[in-house]
Amino acid sequence: MRKLLTILLAVILVGMVSAQAKEVRVLLANHPYGELLKAAIPEYEAATGVKVNVESLQESQLTTKLTTEFATNSSTVDVFMTRPLQEGKMFYKNGWYEPLAGYDFSDYPESAMGIARFGAKPYLVPLVTEWQVLYYRKDLFKKAGLAVPKTFDDLEKAAKALKTADVAGFASRGKGAAAVTQLSSYIYNYGGRYLDKGKAVFDSKQALDAIRFYGKMLANYGPTGVTSMSWENIMPLFQAGKVAMWTDASVFYGQIVDPAKSQVAAADVGIANLPAGPKASNPFIVVSWGMAVARQSKNKALAMDFIKWATSKELAKKGLISNITMARNSAWADPEALAKANAELVASRSFAAKNGFPYDRPYMSAVGNARDLIGEVIIESINTAGASTKLETLAKDKVRAVNELLEDTGEFGVY
Amino acid sequence: MKPHPLRKLGFALILVLIAGPVLFPFVWMLASSFKTQVDIIAWPPRILFSPILENYRKVFQEQNFLKYFVNSSIVGVTSVAFSLLLGLPAAYSIARFRQKRLSVLILVARLMPGISFLMPWYIIFSRLKLMDSYTALILSHMLIALPIVVWIMSSYFETIPIEMEESAMVDGATRQRAFLSIILPVSSPGIVTAITLSFIFSWNNFMFSQVLSMEKTKTLPIAVYNFVSYAEVDWGAVMAAAVAIMAPAILLTMIFQKYVVKGLTMGAVKG
Repeated sequence: MRKLLTILLAVILVGMVSAQAKEVRVLLANHPYGELLKAAIPEYEAATGVKVNVESLQESQLTTKLTTEFATNSSTVDVFMTRPLQEGKMFYKNGWYEPLAGYDFSDYPESAMGIARFGAKPYLVPLVTEWQVLYYRKDLFKKAGLAVPKTFDDLEKAAKALKTADVAGFASRGKGAAAVTQLSSYIYNYGGRYLDKGKAVFDSKQALDAIRFYGKMLANYGPTGVTSMSWENIMPLFQAGKVAMWTDASVFYGQIVDPAKSQVAAADVGIANLPAGPKASNPFIVVSWGMAVARQSKNKALAMDFIKWATSKELAKKGLISNITMARNSAWADPEALAKANAELVASRSFAAKNGFPYDRPYMSAVGNARDLIGEVIIESINTAGASTKLETLAKDKVRAVNELLEDTGEFGVY
Repeated sequence: MKPHPLRKLGFALILVLIAGPVLFPFVWMLASSFKTQVDIIAWPPRILFSPILENYRKVFQEQNFLKYFVNSSIVGVTSVAFSLLLGLPAAYSIARFRQKRLSVLILVARLMPGISFLMPWYIIFSRLKLMDSYTALILSHMLIALPIVVWIMSSYFETIPIEMEESAMVDGATRQRAFLSIILPVSSPGIVTAITLSFIFSWNNFMFSQVLSMEKTKTLPIAVYNFVSYAEVDWGAVMAAAVAIMAPAILLTMIFQKYVVKGLTMGAVKG
């Protein structure tokens, strides 16, 4: 009897293990690449016999869910999409990413790999990159007889000339924390940084000049109420034809040329490199999305196999063809993909890939808090058109506060 | 005497002033749910536009919102039903036997931020293999629904004169019988209020469902986010989904409201 029970138990256990071994649980973000993957997964299932349980979630829901599951140490997630700059450092420090041994990273630009690696080992596969560009209205530029701005001085002159009662000459994010990423390239082009050698340095002369310039531009030529505007608010204005120039991430290109979403004709929308600043021309180019294997996964071999397929060259090419700015270099060299992509977008990508800086925010665990703090400095600058006498003191205060955040997580002076 | 025309006008004006700001977002939402993305963002807003049904097609065909409706209904109805089953006798007992400490203890569960329950729940439910099950969602929603029922009903039961039960018991009824046949019918307005509030809580709950549900048991508030993508929001579909989600809740409240008023007057005469 006892023997029978043991055998029965063993059979059940083996059954459970083998049933588990044939499944992977994948958490995707609501993102065009997630959609593309979902459509392709049936092919993968048919080819491998592995059942893929997919969930797609909005990005902040995804973070909440992953955090809860991993923190309780009883997660069943095998593979997931992740935002390296927003959560990468925290996830890595908590030991939630599995190091990706045996993955061929040779097709990825070095700037992207800097984010994917912690120490010597890569922990995530870069999926999508985005970089800062200048969107502008070709028709308005032609009417005003203006050339596309190449420097910040040109940018200001153009904004002044294009501004009317109805149309803002220039727009960029003004809503505190949300603006931090878009301000970053301005700071770089002035020769400044948010962090340097693990310390906050955005109170430097260069950074302050950039913050003042950004504030002046938005206060003088920006849309009304810009201090409460992020991309959600500015994009509709651009689509409604109320903005002549807009600096933001390249990811919005598809939506502003889509006739179902925009009132501006696609032929009138131009993309250019962010104008150069007094010191440099280093727009940010960041890995906005990556994919990782969960350290807690019980099916690591299957998970590795899935992630190799899900981030393959073929799918990257498909992604670029459907207007997703993929991280893989090979996609951007593929003739078929290039034939379909916008030439200006491709040119701005190759400029950013060569000259860009791989962070668009202070790269640290407490990035959310740091963004709130820097956001206050941005708002002050916009409210005073860059002329605030308190700006330097305010920035020094916030630098101190960000340094404290860095100390709290043991990242101060570490780089 | 007929009311003065100026008074009538004044009344209408006040009505518009009060109802206008409250109703405006609803009107906007309803209108946007029939608009294209271009019409939604158009400035000045388009009062006249050619309405489209595309957004509703996306909600019910592409995303299969009926499934989420069924999920939300199962969770909402069951959690409210079990909360009444446990909560009504508990509230009665608290009201009649003055168990103040117990009621404070129950209130603590309500006052604690819901997020602090998430981790323990996740651990418990995943060990019990109850993730993505209705059971997990129903139990989690009861944690809020039950205190709502207990708190509304215990104070309601206290307002019912104890003589009513006593006279029933003099006539030979047991306490249970008195509770079922006398107290509960008289309390219907309170019960309806408790049902409405706890059901709306469950219907709108986001945080618990977000962590405890997966594809199979996804509820409506989570499903709305299917239309919010990275760097892209499909406003028309979000609005259509919002209309679809609010409609049953508004309808239920309107139906129940009638009973609330009826029950109130009934209680007044009898009490």
